[in-house]
Amino acid sequence: MKKKLVKMMAITMLAVFTLVGCAGNNATKTDSSATPAKTDTAKKEDAPKVDAAKEYVINFPSIWVGKDSKANMMNTLIEEFNQANAGKIKIVVEEIADYDAYTDKMRTNIAAGTVPDIFTFKHGAQADLYFKSGKLMDLTPYMNEGWKDQFLGDAINAVTFDSKVMAVPYEFGVTPVMYNKALFEKAGVMEFPKNYDEFFAACDKLKAAGITPMSQMTGANAWTSMLWYSQLVHSIGGPDVYKNGFDDPAFVEAARVMQKMFKYTTDDAVGATAAVAGGHFLTGETAMLMNGPWFIGRIKTEGANNMYESVEAAPAPYYAGGKGQPGGYIGFIQADIGVAKQDDPGKEEAVIKFLKYITEPENVKRVSLDSGALFVVKFDLGNEVERLQGQMNAQLNAAPYAIPHFEASVKPGVASEFPQALSGMILGELTPEQFVEQLKAADQM
Amino acid sequence: MGSRLTRHDKIGIALFLIPAITLFIAFFVYPVGFVIVTSFMKWDGIGEAEFVGIKNFSTILGDKVFIRAIQNNIWWSLSGGFIHVPMAALVAMVLSKKPKGWKFFRTVYFFPNIISVVALAMMWMAIYNNQYGALNAILGKIGLQSLQNNWLGQLGSAFPALIIHWIFNIGYFMVIILAQISTIPQDYYEAAEIDGADGIKKDIFITLPLIKGAILTCMTLSMVSGLKHFESVFVMTNGGPANRTMMLTLYVYNQLRNFRYGLANAAAVVLIIIGICAIVGLNRLFSIDFKKIGRKKISTGGVK
Repeated sequence: MKKKLVKMMAITMLAVFTLVGCAGNNATKTDSSATPAKTDTAKKEDAPKVDAAKEYVINFPSIWVGKDSKANMMNTLIEEFNQANAGKIKIVVEEIADYDAYTDKMRTNIAAGTVPDIFTFKHGAQADLYFKSGKLMDLTPYMNEGWKDQFLGDAINAVTFDSKVMAVPYEFGVTPVMYNKALFEKAGVMEFPKNYDEFFAACDKLKAAGITPMSQMTGANAWTSMLWYSQLVHSIGGPDVYKNGFDDPAFVEAARVMQKMFKYTTDDAVGATAAVAGGHFLTGETAMLMNGPWFIGRIKTEGANNMYESVEAAPAPYYAGGKGQPGGYIGFIQADIGVAKQDDPGKEEAVIKFLKYITEPENVKRVSLDSGALFVVKFDLGNEVERLQGQMNAQLNAAPYAIPHFEASVKPGVASEFPQALSGMILGELTPEQFVEQLKAADQM
Repeated sequence: MGSRLTRHDKIGIALFLIPAITLFIAFFVYPVGFVIVTSFMKWDGIGEAEFVGIKNFSTILGDKVFIRAIQNNIWWSLSGGFIHVPMAALVAMVLSKKPKGWKFFRTVYFFPNIISVVALAMMWMAIYNNQYGALNAILGKIGLQSLQNNWLGQLGSAFPALIIHWIFNIGYFMVIILAQISTIPQDYYEAAEIDGADGIKKDIFITLPLIKGAILTCMTLSMVSGLKHFESVFVMTNGGPANRTMMLTLYVYNQLRNFRYGLANAAAVVLIIIGICAIVGLNRLFSIDFKKIGRKKISTGGVK
């Protein structure tokens, strides 16, 4: 179901970035027919309870701050919104740069019934719990006013629970391999490997040239390594691999390949965090990093020696003899925007006005162009599309399928056990079979 | 003295006690009661809770990670009680003699206590880093390259490295013991000198017995705080690699993050029980010595 959903979004994206690009201004005009101002005016006529003299303060704990690639433009958008609505609506951003701390805080707030007016959360098992908490605003009436037409494919279905739209789907994630072409060429590897035999041959060449082939990590949620494992699992077991549970031999075989991969990474990979793994790539120490389009902004601003020009995106290699297909992609809704139920209809109007504002195609385009991030909102990038972003879009659209990554496909308990089991396997304490057994045990707790 | 309290006095006492008792109930009795009740439930923290009897306890007691967390906490507490505090006592005894620069060293030893635990943990992460860390750099400089290591990323070195990062932060207990030493009358030392006691004998036979109470208090505090340690482990290793540095509080936190509130609270109940056992056990252990001291004093007429 998820696979179909993501694939549908991928196809829709293709349509948007090609056909809508041609339609250009017309499409934009259609989308902007549901601009905040017009919708708000219409609402106000039906909702006399709104107090025009009152300033509605909307609390927005945001993860899109600090070094996050969306921080800059999101901050600009919020400032512009506050200026345009001065004296009526004020968005107050609570900056929380640490993702784990943010997630914990939101979860605790929901459990305690003190849900922030607006917040973001990862799509997946966590989202389902939030949807059924009964503490989020039902957005169905607003979505049915035409707002939902702004979103790609089945994105709205993904946030629909019990026939109610419980969140705004927002950021879309893909996680290809980002590789430093200059380093590859220096090692004599002229094109990115198509399968894992070619891949490890390329790694040997890179190593021989004194270049560490790839960034890996087991610290925190083992993000980069988890993405590699996700690619391997679906490449070996096929796109339906998660339906079979951990008894599918693909999980063990993928673990075996991961063991081998860690022979081609940095000495500090065990225990390294995403900052360390990403840092190795940005300094040019490693030649490959698996991550999403949100990292493009950092490559541009932090990459050593103008490395941005050398970086390319590629689908992960395919596993020869596996059930997956070449080009199979990891694609998933990265972030939903949750909204607290409001007692004050005026404040509810204000919250919706802001949400419509940040999902307005032109504003989403500004964030996307500035950060490199992808979104499930339809917008026309035209010819301004960022190079790596364009590559990722093209690869996603050419993919035979796109499925969510491992972390989004298993229970939170399994995802949190993954780094521990992985480090145990890499350090020789666990065999690949025992690694999977450890994940299975976490699944059954 | 000894007169019966009037009704007015009783009302006054009750009124003064109400705020403290209210806060105690609100922020201690109620949360602990809630934790105990929900430890018998399957609960994701958001939806309805379901009573499951002792299943949560049997699950965590069958979990190797939980058992390792208990072992690690015991090691942490023991190292606190039997390495950390004795070091603090030793340094306090040396500084109490006011050698040259003693104020400087007292400040230096206490300084880490005014820095946040997280900041210290991050500093030690940098020290332990195997690529640019100070520890490996020093080992390299003195020709011990073979000992260079990914200190926080290896099964054998991660937990010892965590213990070492805080074991020398003795300032807090050093100050307590130093304060206790300052209360010892100089007459005792002068009398001992007349009897021919040298510096070490004075330390062993005068200072140590008289600061024993402070040392035992510090040991109790250190060992009990070892059971609830969280921050630096969370920052430096997050329980890894391969759960080698898992601690009970981190285990509880992980279960909460995984929406397993029932399991988390069952683990928290076990932590509370271990804490109570530790405090009662330490009190008993130490009270034996106090009784002996008491008897000696009574036999010499020191106490009436």
